[in-house]
Amino acid sequence: MKFKSDPTLVDFVRTEVAPEGLSFKPLHENRVAVRIKAEDADKLAERFISKFKARLIHETAVDLEGEGFDMIYIYDFSKVRERLVVVLEAQISKDDPSPPSVAKITWQASWAEREIHDLLGISPKGTPDPRKQFLPYEWPNAAESGTAPPRPDKGPSGPQDRWIPLGIMPNDAYATLIPIGPYHPGVIEGQTVYVKVEGETVVSADIKTGFHHRGIQKLIERRGYHKGVFAAERVCGICSAAHGLTYVTACENLYEAEVPDRALYIRTLLLELNRVHSHLLWIGVVADVIGWKTGFHLSWGLRERVMDIIESITGNRVNYGIWRIGGMSRDVSHELAERALPTVKALKAEMAQLLPEVAAHSVVKSRLVGVGPLSYADAFDGGAVGPVARASNWKIDVRADNPPHAMYDPKVISWEVITDEGCDTFGRTLVRVKELLVSSDIIMQCLAHLAKTTGEVRIEPKVIPVNSEGIGLNEAPRGELVHYVRASEFNMNLPQAYRIRTPSYRNNALIPKMLVGSSLADVPVVMGSTDQCLACTDRFEVIRESGGPSHSMSWAELVALGKRRGV
Amino acid sequence: MSTHIKILKQVLQKYSSPMTLNYPSGVDKNRMYSQIPEGLRGFIERDEEKCIGCRACYMVCSGRATKIFDTAEKRTVQVFHFRCTYCAHCEECCPEEAIKMSKKFELAVTDKNDPKAYVNTDLKMLSCKACNRPYLPEKMQKRVFERLSEKIDAKVKGIVVEDYHKTEGFCPDCKRARGVMLDTHTKKHVWLEVV
Amino acid sequence: MADLAFTIVSIALIIPISLFLGVIYAFLLRKLNARFQWRVGPVVRMYSDLAPVIGSTRVWQPMYDILKLFGKDTLIPASAHKRLFTWSPYFSLFFSFAAVLFIPFPGMPLLSDTPYSLIVASYLLIASILFTILGPVASGSPWGAIGARREVELFLVAELGFVASLFLVAFMKGSLVIAELSGTVGSIPMVLVTLLAGITMFAAMLGKLHIKPFDMPEAECEIVAGPYTEYSGKLLGTYFLAKIFVLYSMVALFIAVFLPPVSSSVLWLPLYVVAALALVFLLAVVQVLNPRYAIRKALAWYMKIVVPLVIIGFIAAFALRMVA
Repeated sequence: MKFKSDPTLVDFVRTEVAPEGLSFKPLHENRVAVRIKAEDADKLAERFISKFKARLIHETAVDLEGEGFDMIYIYDFSKVRERLVVVLEAQISKDDPSPPSVAKITWQASWAEREIHDLLGISPKGTPDPRKQFLPYEWPNAAESGTAPPRPDKGPSGPQDRWIPLGIMPNDAYATLIPIGPYHPGVIEGQTVYVKVEGETVVSADIKTGFHHRGIQKLIERRGYHKGVFAAERVCGICSAAHGLTYVTACENLYEAEVPDRALYIRTLLLELNRVHSHLLWIGVVADVIGWKTGFHLSWGLRERVMDIIESITGNRVNYGIWRIGGMSRDVSHELAERALPTVKALKAEMAQLLPEVAAHSVVKSRLVGVGPLSYADAFDGGAVGPVARASNWKIDVRADNPPHAMYDPKVISWEVITDEGCDTFGRTLVRVKELLVSSDIIMQCLAHLAKTTGEVRIEPKVIPVNSEGIGLNEAPRGELVHYVRASEFNMNLPQAYRIRTPSYRNNALIPKMLVGSSLADVPVVMGSTDQCLACTDRFEVIRESGGPSHSMSWAELVALGKRRGV
Repeated sequence: MSTHIKILKQVLQKYSSPMTLNYPSGVDKNRMYSQIPEGLRGFIERDEEKCIGCRACYMVCSGRATKIFDTAEKRTVQVFHFRCTYCAHCEECCPEEAIKMSKKFELAVTDKNDPKAYVNTDLKMLSCKACNRPYLPEKMQKRVFERLSEKIDAKVKGIVVEDYHKTEGFCPDCKRARGVMLDTHTKKHVWLEVV
Repeated sequence: MADLAFTIVSIALIIPISLFLGVIYAFLLRKLNARFQWRVGPVVRMYSDLAPVIGSTRVWQPMYDILKLFGKDTLIPASAHKRLFTWSPYFSLFFSFAAVLFIPFPGMPLLSDTPYSLIVASYLLIASILFTILGPVASGSPWGAIGARREVELFLVAELGFVASLFLVAFMKGSLVIAELSGTVGSIPMVLVTLLAGITMFAAMLGKLHIKPFDMPEAECEIVAGPYTEYSGKLLGTYFLAKIFVLYSMVALFIAVFLPPVSSSVLWLPLYVVAALALVFLLAVVQVLNPRYAIRKALAWYMKIVVPLVIIGFIAAFALRMVA
């Protein structure tokens, strides 16, 4: 199937959306790249959000080495014109990297601006939240001071004088600052949520991430298009299919892509299987967080069946590894599809029986109803995505608005977008439970189609043209996921820039807003309800093979270390 | 209370049939193992007979796990499984179909240099007759010639085979340097036509 | 003299018996939890190829966990009040073991026939829990402080049900000596009132033993380990040992006071074991079925359920006393 684009959209953008633009370049599949002057960024942001009700998808920057930085603002206009995405590009110089801030207009860009400040050194003017995103807050700017952060003073004179975050000072006794994290049994990955409590009520909260930053964007830029898909997959273990599909969508957006139909069905199948396993995992995690280990084991037991199907199709449970630009590398045989179909049907029946019982449990409801409220207005301003937004009655779903390169055409596969009016944790639970049943339907339709037809699954990609840009959008289990790739002028194999913005990025920024006023027991519940994936938020891990002295501990040493310290 | 009773029914059903299965570590016949599917992407296994040392797997390796070590006598193609991403690029691109992904996956070792994690394939390396530098594995040279002679046009096959035998044993630099002397340079056919 | 010698011998015997039974109850709670959750749990009969390496059974797993803790380093936080922090586990263990001595076992009345033994036993159990509150408060950590605070709130309401149900039976039968309460059965109406008091006591046990839905003091997802956060090594092992004795004491006290003839003579021993296992089974079922309540909901639940039961029970007991 070839992905069509509408040639009249460039004129629409030129005349009505951004007449101040300096040049307009149509990209494949209804994307338009507009080059603007750097000072116009906030004016255009104001107009896009208030007049057109567009959403800011991401704000990032590309390092152009000698010529400065290219600021990139990606806006989603899919509610205005079908599948329209407008990319604003503005060049700023390296001597004075301070474009106007978009975060002061809309909260959606807050974390994006913190990130470009941390990673590239660009400080937007007037940004409301200039703190660091990945480094610790106390880290001094090395370019200014040229030194390492100061060590704590030696020799405390008493417990009150030492900087112990866990000791309570007498005058703080009424409003205790509790750090939930970086290590905490209630959260799965490393993050810190600082919570100020009075008694059991949360007065204010703040979230600090950055413990999992691995530099995956840089890794992909150095590996190239064909090898980078495996690094992109490993951004997150739970939503790895979403990242894989978004990567190939972004790279296929660079040239005029043609993907066989059968490959599109397989892609949809894998994405929905991933969604089912992720939502079942989430139900288990929320059950564990409210103290119900039985719910955890019951839902994860069902998840095992999904993992068995995934393993039979792709060869691995977590990192599927069969995504290729231009198709897939493996086919689903008829025998496998026919074997999987009754399993999925039985699984759907079990889920339809178990999950409403879990959601109707009186103690579960007492822990989830009314917890972590997020009104529609807050969700819209804050840029919530995914089930968090849909539970606040905002009907956005990338599979319907801006479909990725997979089969989601409502004329071919019947499915629907689930919303709920609850605006709280219980609403998010119901949205995910219903999405599980919808996803099972999609899986059964895909399997039925794959069992009956044959076809090729891969078309080798064409040469990637220089200076093209690609955007891949996808609905990960947690929300909207975007990959932005810019092809290099000189090198056909390596991209010049690769940027990822994950859904947890947006949802985590809203956690402090949701926490104020709840009780301490609800803090992990709220954190869990946004379905955090900190690995997605931080995106980093580099293994350095050479350099530096290192000592490998033998097994005996590790065991001894576990028993007694200092041996 | 009624939801409690429904969950109680579910829970009592599951009492005698646990979801967890046992991991095999012995010969107790009561142990079961969940199925290992046919297409599992496990360890790389390279057929030593078929591998010709062409370095295609090294070029496409996504995790930089495949490495080539050349000495004067041999070329070693090594896969280090701790860096492998099990992406099957090498399996797809090997021209001799020497690489297969097996169904083995147990990699826990207590020492990073444990030979279990490495797959080494040694190939005899040819050295140049003139400058003594190693340049190609022997099997690769033979195989390339075989493939070439299968596909070459019958009109020029004679000349190509004759040139090949004249330059056999020289590395690419020395071959280029002796092009005129041995009459194997590519322009000779053009001159023939002109003349 | 013979009485004194018998008492001393039985006190010496109850140490291993209570430890053994306490470990069995703890193991059963874990095993039933696991089986209801669709998994296996600590195995009773080890697989033949692993048996030489690990051992033939894992029934003593709770004991192994405590012994493992005794082998680890004990870390004491610098901001802790050292004396209270390090002595609290030992006091807790002492009081919980002392409570064991006042509760009869079939064939061994131990110290349960001393006057006011009911009051002494409940006070010793209260004292044991008191030191699981004081020690964490002395640790200087906010997790300990919040856990201790939740423990205090839960303890107050659970104690209400606990004491009220015990004194209901005592009031009805007119005695404060456990040996007399467990020796006399009484008429059918008395048995019914005892049953009602038993249900109240079961609800109170959930709070005292931290069975879900009332384990919010130890809520690991919210406050790390609650009161036990800063404890490690032998101090934590001592706390867990005290918990095993408390588990045994609560089950034994329940059978002694609310299932009257079973604890009185050695002929009842098989029924004692069956009743204890049934009680632990019920605790496990309640634990599996419920998530954890927030602390305010727990207080509301206790007020709504336990207080009316207690009031009805006291009216009935008063009426029975009037009639008799």
